[in-house]
Amino acid sequence: MHTRLDVLASGVHDAKNQLFVAESQITAAEARYGIDLSEARYAIEAAANRLSQTLAAYKVLREDAQPAVTPVIVADLCAEVGLDQKKHLATAGIELSQSCSVVDEWPLDRDLVTDMLNNAIQNAGRYARSRVHVDARLDAGWLVFSVEDDGPGFASLPPASGTGLTVARRLAFLHRRQGREGGLCLSNGASLGGARFELRLP
Amino acid sequence: MSQYAKKRFLVIDDQPQARDALRTIAQTIGAFAVEFASNYQDAIYRIRNNVPDIILCDYVLGEGRSGQQLLEELRRFNLLADESIFMMVTGEQSYEQVVSAVELVPDDYIIKPFSPDKLVLRLDRIMAKKQFFKEYYREKRKKEYAAALAILEAQRNSEAGRPYRFEILRQQAEVLLSSGDSAGAEQAYRSILENYEFPWARAGVARSLHRQNKLSEARSEIDRVVASTPHFFDAADLKANICMAQGEHAEAQQILDDVAKKTPRNYQRKRLLAEAATLNGDTETACAIMADVVANDTMPGAVTPEDRLALARSQVDANDLISAEKTLVGLKESEMQNLDLDAQASYAALLAISSPGRGKPRFAGLRPALISAQLTANSRLDILRSALTLGDHELADHQAEALLEGDEAKRSFGAMRKQYALHGREQDFRNIQKRVALKRIHHDEAPKADA
Repeated sequence: MHTRLDVLASGVHDAKNQLFVAESQITAAEARYGIDLSEARYAIEAAANRLSQTLAAYKVLREDAQPAVTPVIVADLCAEVGLDQKKHLATAGIELSQSCSVVDEWPLDRDLVTDMLNNAIQNAGRYARSRVHVDARLDAGWLVFSVEDDGPGFASLPPASGTGLTVARRLAFLHRRQGREGGLCLSNGASLGGARFELRLP
Repeated sequence: MSQYAKKRFLVIDDQPQARDALRTIAQTIGAFAVEFASNYQDAIYRIRNNVPDIILCDYVLGEGRSGQQLLEELRRFNLLADESIFMMVTGEQSYEQVVSAVELVPDDYIIKPFSPDKLVLRLDRIMAKKQFFKEYYREKRKKEYAAALAILEAQRNSEAGRPYRFEILRQQAEVLLSSGDSAGAEQAYRSILENYEFPWARAGVARSLHRQNKLSEARSEIDRVVASTPHFFDAADLKANICMAQGEHAEAQQILDDVAKKTPRNYQRKRLLAEAATLNGDTETACAIMADVVANDTMPGAVTPEDRLALARSQVDANDLISAEKTLVGLKESEMQNLDLDAQASYAALLAISSPGRGKPRFAGLRPALISAQLTANSRLDILRSALTLGDHELADHQAEALLEGDEAKRSFGAMRKQYALHGREQDFRNIQKRVALKRIHHDEAPKADA
């Protein structure tokens, strides 16, 4: 018996496998001809991420999503997000900087959180003039990720709530620990003067 | 030169295109030696012959097998040293759910598509972690548990250990469990749960409680895990084991039957299912499953003399004595010589029923040992049945008493009562029960948990 979710998941799975074959061929071409095709690879990974996000959104809107929580080294997660986005932002003349003062492991869904941060950085990159900053720190027993830019900030606060934001809020909320739930906080006028996206996890 | 240039890679994937893609990525990060395996058997063969440094394994392997099953089998046969890297590669979102729940996890998993840079980042981290745990792995391999625990304890309190806090706690719990300190393991798992409700840690609590024979507590812990993570199949196995210990064999069989349908090529699980079916009196299922295991578990060395004894046991249960005799006589001479006393006892007991001419003298020869030795519950049940059949009341009653006094009384109770009833000795069995109960009171023993 195949549910609608199984059909979607299997389609996404096959598509991502194809994208992986394409990316590896680009990688081989880069090595063979000594060229840089990282923007093509970025586009492929972005397409794969969109597919994953669509599936995650479908699950979360059906309200039967479960986070896959493992202990994650926060600094490693930040490094990975940097690897995903830094080069791409640089092609648009935007510098991505990072700071992480969290040494310990933290229980979280690595893939969901990575996706949310990637999304937030992409959004920030669209409005930033020249800088985006990602920070991870501990605050009174919470793990707090923030993404700030030096753009004009959100036009209205709270921002008009689209599907993306609704899904992100629910994904944050799925992180529950010791009687507390994760959440999002959006604001303007932080250290870089633009918009600030904050993800708080218990 | 990249630090991966000298490493031996093994890429396991059933799809040729995906295999090539993985090889390309491995070569891009500097690997020279990249071997392939196209299926499960091939992978095991290659790993057995020459353990790779780094395994990149796709989660979906075809033929009803998964990378997770391969990982479990490698660990079960001790084919994978702690120093080797096992990285699961997956396009499947659902694998994250598996990894977050189960006790046996790969070093890491990576979701397709990914760049060579990302793979390097992930591998570098695993190498750093393996380096951190190097001394510990060495003591663990030598089964020097005290030394291994001392290393972990020092690491837990060190600054360098901060990024690995959960991993250290998890390793501590596992070592405590292996070393037989079940109460200590329970404590270690509970301290993990104080941080987060990880299904594997909750299952660890249940496992530790089971080892302490605190069955009701173990049951309520594992019920929570199974209810919240239906894809955590090992938890279902553990629940079935606890059900059996509680004497709830029908439920155990039902649980295992459901999970076995989802994992048709997992022969360890099938063995457990056959055991539950045997205890549940479903001889037909037990026979069919054990015949399947003996015929189809193609891992070299996987089918043991104990498996053949289990098959013969189910055949005797089904009163198919000709097949039972054939199964027993089919054991090789070399296997016979290496049987421990439990297996020898079961062999002789089952042969005494299926082939009295050959079996009875052997069984009689073992009799003094069967009276004096500590034996497993399965062997005692086999001896009890043969002794009842041969009219050796003293030997049968001795086994019944030992079983009723032991930790596995509930597990064996139904089978014992059935055998005594078959031979018209229900009243005698009730008397043995009374005697054991009285002895317990007289000796002023603390009542067994759950008894």
